Amino acid sequence: MADVTVIVPRRASERRLAIQELIPKLVLAPSFALILLFVYGFILFTIVLSFSGSKLLPDFSTWVGFGNYQRLFAHPNWITALKNLAIFASLYIVICSALGLGLAILLDQKIRGEGALRPIYLYPMALSFIVTGVAWKWFLDPGIGLEHVMHQWGWESFSFRWIKEGKYAIYTIVIAAVWQSSGFVMAMFLAGLRGVDNEVIKAAQIDGASTFTIYRRIIIPLMRPVFLSAFVVLAHLAIKSYDLVVAMTDGGPGTATWTPALFMQKFTFGRNEMGMGASSAIIMMIMIFSIIIPYLYSELRMGRRA
Amino acid sequence: MARQRSMRRRVTITALAWLAGFIVFFPILWMILTSFKTELEAFSTPPSFLFFDWTLENYGIVQERSNYLRYAMNSVIIAFGSTLLALLIAVPAAWAMAFAPTKRTKDLLLWMLSTKMMPAVGALIPIYLLFRDSGLLDSHVGMVGILLLINLPIVIWMLFTYFKEIPGEILEAARMDGATLWREIVYVLAPMAVPGIASTLLLNVILAWNESFWTLNLTTSKAAPLTAFIASYSSPEGLFWAKLSAASTMAIAPILILGWFSQRQLVRGLTFGAVK
Repeated sequence: MADVTVIVPRRASERRLAIQELIPKLVLAPSFALILLFVYGFILFTIVLSFSGSKLLPDFSTWVGFGNYQRLFAHPNWITALKNLAIFASLYIVICSALGLGLAILLDQKIRGEGALRPIYLYPMALSFIVTGVAWKWFLDPGIGLEHVMHQWGWESFSFRWIKEGKYAIYTIVIAAVWQSSGFVMAMFLAGLRGVDNEVIKAAQIDGASTFTIYRRIIIPLMRPVFLSAFVVLAHLAIKSYDLVVAMTDGGPGTATWTPALFMQKFTFGRNEMGMGASSAIIMMIMIFSIIIPYLYSELRMGRRA
Repeated sequence: MARQRSMRRRVTITALAWLAGFIVFFPILWMILTSFKTELEAFSTPPSFLFFDWTLENYGIVQERSNYLRYAMNSVIIAFGSTLLALLIAVPAAWAMAFAPTKRTKDLLLWMLSTKMMPAVGALIPIYLLFRDSGLLDSHVGMVGILLLINLPIVIWMLFTYFKEIPGEILEAARMDGATLWREIVYVLAPMAVPGIASTLLLNVILAWNESFWTLNLTTSKAAPLTAFIASYSSPEGLFWAKLSAASTMAIAPILILGWFSQRQLVRGLTFGAVK
């Protein structure tokens, strides 16, 4: 503030200059403050809560140290949630990347109607996970969905009731999530493919390399940054996965499809374990951080070099 | 010969791509078609694809039974309200970063974007308590506020990338000609910024429309948007399929239309700039 009083603009042009210097900072301030408060203020509060003995209400008089974290990792539901996350994340990331890359290569062959196909592939991602989740749930329900239709068509022995079986229910969520995100991963890869220098490809073609070799040896290795971005985006979506699970199984049957986000929500509000809920949220934060911090670091370094 | 072979290859690839497109779109298409069937027809064997008696009765029943329009109205208020407010805050911020960049601008942007990747559960408890204590639970004001907060980084960043494309020389030229700051904004900047702002608006409306973590946890009925409404169709029951389809179709119709026009922004926004 002191600086402002020192500059007493005499002439109009000087004053305008001072204003023009100041305005950018002034208009940036509200956004900066809001994001700062939202991210760090609220997360700090959650961290503090995770060390308190809060149950139904926040309780800042009893402190339990790492007690909540110990109870968390001793709780079978949290272990289930972590296991589900491991299954879900690995399958989701691998299958989406493979399908996305395949679709992108298909579209990259300058096919007819690419302009219409791109939005079609993308549509699932633009739709609410809740809507698609409910639709998938009905579709996979043995009584009214796929199994029912197959039976009516005369294939009496057809059986597909994964969504009702604790052991397999998590895989139905993988199916829906893959359907939802593959097209979107395709769009990322397609942009990467289009970014590859045409000269390199032409040179390889002249040398007699087959299309398959060109992709395997030249294009795909060049797309490493895209793979990294796709991995980060998919991994953080997997860790945060909440709405699709809520819509499809709501964690069921039993607790078979609980994910960390679901655990957090159910323990905080359903079981009045606010302290434990907070500690599970912090664990999720740490997971996300461990993915995005190295990524941001590499992005920043690349930006500096450029 | 070679030509014929490459022709055949091309046809195969095109056919494959369209087949994949059909598979991807099929569930959506099926849902839309089912919404125009009677409940009996929705279960008929074999399922009728296009040749059935088209009916609008499901739409009427959904509205009558569950006051669909109120949820739709909530979705509109929340999505557009939060987007317009976010633009109000973000346009000056993005403008400042694009035209008066400092050494820190890039880092600042990247940091802002990274906050969008944070898990929402990290802020759920404090926000829930805050909302409860100030009576914001299940209110339009609260939902507009929270969606404004969570989408602000992406709005600023989208606008920044668009503003960055406006050549700075034009502004300097205007300044040379003695344009005041106000005139500079109204006559030079605004006309060139409108397309970018419109694109950002479109993307953010879609994001806000689809948001469900916060809407499911902070609303119950009064301010509940369509996502909460659809989630309430929880247990699959027979003879209910067509009505659910009608409700879902109404919930996604605006997105299907907006999405067609904003596919580029969608990819850009959803991948946090990994794809330009």
